[in-house]
Amino acid sequence: MPVQPLRAYQFLIRIAAFTIPCCLFSHAQTLDDGFSVPAKTLYSSSLYTHDSWDHYWQGSLRRTNGNLGTVTTQNNTLLATYGITERLNVMGTVPYVWTNASQGVLNGLQGWQDVTLAAKYRLITKHLGRAGTVSAYAVGFWGIPTTNYISDLQPLSIGLGARRAGGRGTLHYQSAQGWFLDGSVAYTWRGSVKLDRPYYFTNDTFYNTDIVDMPNVVDYSVGPGFCRGSRMAQFVWTKRITQGGGGDIRRQDLPFISNRFISSRVGGVVTYPIPRAGGLVFRLEYSRVIDGRNVGLASTISTGLTQTISFKRRISIP
Amino acid sequence: MTSIPRWLAQIAGICVALSTQPCSAALNDAGAGSWQMIVLSGPAQVPVPPPVATTDAAYQSELAAIKLAQANITSQQRQTLDYWNKGAVVCWNRILLDLVARMDLPPEPNDNGTYSFPSAGAPFAFPQFPFANPPYAARSFSYVSVATYDALKAAWYYKYLYNRPTPFNADNGIHAYTAASDLPGYPSEDAVVSAVSAALLKTLFPTAIDEINQKAADQRQAALLSGKASASDIAAGVALGEAVASIFLARAGSDGMKSAIGNQGQWDALAEAAKARGEIPWKSLEVPPRPPMLPFFGQVKAWMMSPGDIAAERPGPPPSVSSPQMQTELAEVRSALKHLTRAQAAICYKWSDGASSPTPPGHWNFIAQPYLDRASFSEVRTARALALLNMSLHDAAVACWETKYAYFNPRPTQLDPNLRTAIALPNFPSYESGHSVISGAAAAVLSYLFPSDTSYFNAQRDEAAISRLYAGIHFRSDIEVGKDHGAKVGAYTLRFAQSDGADQQ
Repeated sequence: MPVQPLRAYQFLIRIAAFTIPCCLFSHAQTLDDGFSVPAKTLYSSSLYTHDSWDHYWQGSLRRTNGNLGTVTTQNNTLLATYGITERLNVMGTVPYVWTNASQGVLNGLQGWQDVTLAAKYRLITKHLGRAGTVSAYAVGFWGIPTTNYISDLQPLSIGLGARRAGGRGTLHYQSAQGWFLDGSVAYTWRGSVKLDRPYYFTNDTFYNTDIVDMPNVVDYSVGPGFCRGSRMAQFVWTKRITQGGGGDIRRQDLPFISNRFISSRVGGVVTYPIPRAGGLVFRLEYSRVIDGRNVGLASTISTGLTQTISFKRRISIP
Repeated sequence: MTSIPRWLAQIAGICVALSTQPCSAALNDAGAGSWQMIVLSGPAQVPVPPPVATTDAAYQSELAAIKLAQANITSQQRQTLDYWNKGAVVCWNRILLDLVARMDLPPEPNDNGTYSFPSAGAPFAFPQFPFANPPYAARSFSYVSVATYDALKAAWYYKYLYNRPTPFNADNGIHAYTAASDLPGYPSEDAVVSAVSAALLKTLFPTAIDEINQKAADQRQAALLSGKASASDIAAGVALGEAVASIFLARAGSDGMKSAIGNQGQWDALAEAAKARGEIPWKSLEVPPRPPMLPFFGQVKAWMMSPGDIAAERPGPPPSVSSPQMQTELAEVRSALKHLTRAQAAICYKWSDGASSPTPPGHWNFIAQPYLDRASFSEVRTARALALLNMSLHDAAVACWETKYAYFNPRPTQLDPNLRTAIALPNFPSYESGHSVISGAAAAVLSYLFPSDTSYFNAQRDEAAISRLYAGIHFRSDIEVGKDHGAKVGAYTLRFAQSDGADQQ
């Protein structure tokens, strides 16, 4: 799946008549960074992501599974961020996901996953003189499955089928030289999921219902980086942990949607403007799970392009 | 609750003597002591000594103990009472369903690519005993259900032989924390059910001994607090239940289950026999390959069918793997997977009943439970319903496994290595579909028990069966032949049911 949608935007390219502030593109696509999009400007991205693992943690036991081999999840994500004002951005994403297991007989699944909408507001910006600036952001987000996709064939389902809502707080420090540091914390509430079967067994309990309560998720991330214009490089460490509820993957059983999990990831992201491409910015991200529970020991690579479209009225000077 | 129930109880006793059925006796199934036994030789095989009279000082002190306990009843005890008031037999069926789902985990491979088998001698060691796979589950449901049913028929026999009223009918100072009834109290049916269920479950699911003991103790305490059983009613019921359980455990120890796994030489012989017939033998597609699931379960003792009946009802062979029909059926599986709709996928997952599930026999118990909750049956008639259902499910599992290993036929994914299934692939031969045989038998028996919902049971059977084609794990022949085979197996149980005396009450 190539990044088709971008091509349609090529002819819409506008060169904005303003100076791109430092670190504009860092990862303004994501909800957890400390950057914002200028007013009346649309960032439109298409990202391709490839995630795979052959080892995983069944509870705390690290193992492989001959009936899965390597589990690969790929997605193409469409993403748009719009600056209503310089302080208030809105975002939307929707990924198309497809999965595959290299061994065993299970069929991979594919389809449009969840749409996520978010609003990001810059609470404060404090200028520290020559030491740089500190900004604080608050993000509210909400997500819902786009279709009634199959969520009960973990790890080959394309998603969990749960509605989500949550909030994130991000602190962003920016030095005058281009160094920066993001720190971010989020809490995600996850709605219950309805299965196709009338009962299930998890967390040492037989549930006489098709409704699965999903544990909520907390995540933290810290990311120091450097940027200049649309050129950016950042190291990112993230940790995601379910809160209350959820059981471990059972011995020699497939994962279950409400399994509790811990996932620690490290990685890096770079962005680079493509010369003479009308403002297209290339993005490349790699991360790897370094520790976890009930998750795959995954390596994830993500790449894509971001296009800027300014809707600011251009004033013609006679 | 004063003189009227006692008067009714006396009438009930007279009714039994006269073999007539006024409403209270019919509601209580007062004649159940004469219904045909399944394993016991008769209702008096296990002796139950006569109780002391209600006027006896020992009994009076038992009543005083109940009054004291009722005066100090806690909210937690009330919750336990409410739980068990749903019906002892159905409560234990739900406990068993839970245990099956918990223990339905296939052993994981060893580092050298082999698999260990669970050991009843060391149940807590991994892989834990048992692996409650579909045949194990079918057998477990049937042992608990049939033993409970035979034990309750014996209890009913003694209840109406001795006619000692329940405490709340014997003493109007005792409150009935349960539905009023004039069923005689001695021996306590709750104690019988608790003892027989607990004894069997502790053998079938030994890792759960502590919680099983706790459930049994809770149930006996609830029976006492409810005012329907005194200490001596309970003691007599426990003794009867345990004695009946030991008779069934002796049967279980020699029913062939211990030989059902077999060994490498026997597994190889199954493959060789298929080759000698010119067919492609089934092979495990798990990685690493796993020994076939209980290949000699087909020789385990059935309830309503002799080994000769099992052989006589075995369907003819599947289409040869080299036949055009098999190619047509394989093409149908390919097409089903390719065009699987979301609604069909939902049916696959509804009936998947793989690891960590109550298995297909448990699924049919799950379907039966709300019917039993609504039926207002006596405990003994509820036990009969579950015994009939689960005898047919066990016999269906035996007959199906006998067929599977007689033909040792490959799954669609073995004939076409490019096929990818919608659910995990069961690790045993294809012909015939276990879901189809089990559901064929279950629908037949449930339709007999609850005839107004026959079309619903048949629709569930058809859905369970076709789900296996949608999922890409069975051929059309496996399903159609399996449903028909299941109905034939169910007919053996129905013939028993129609003449066991219960329909004539």
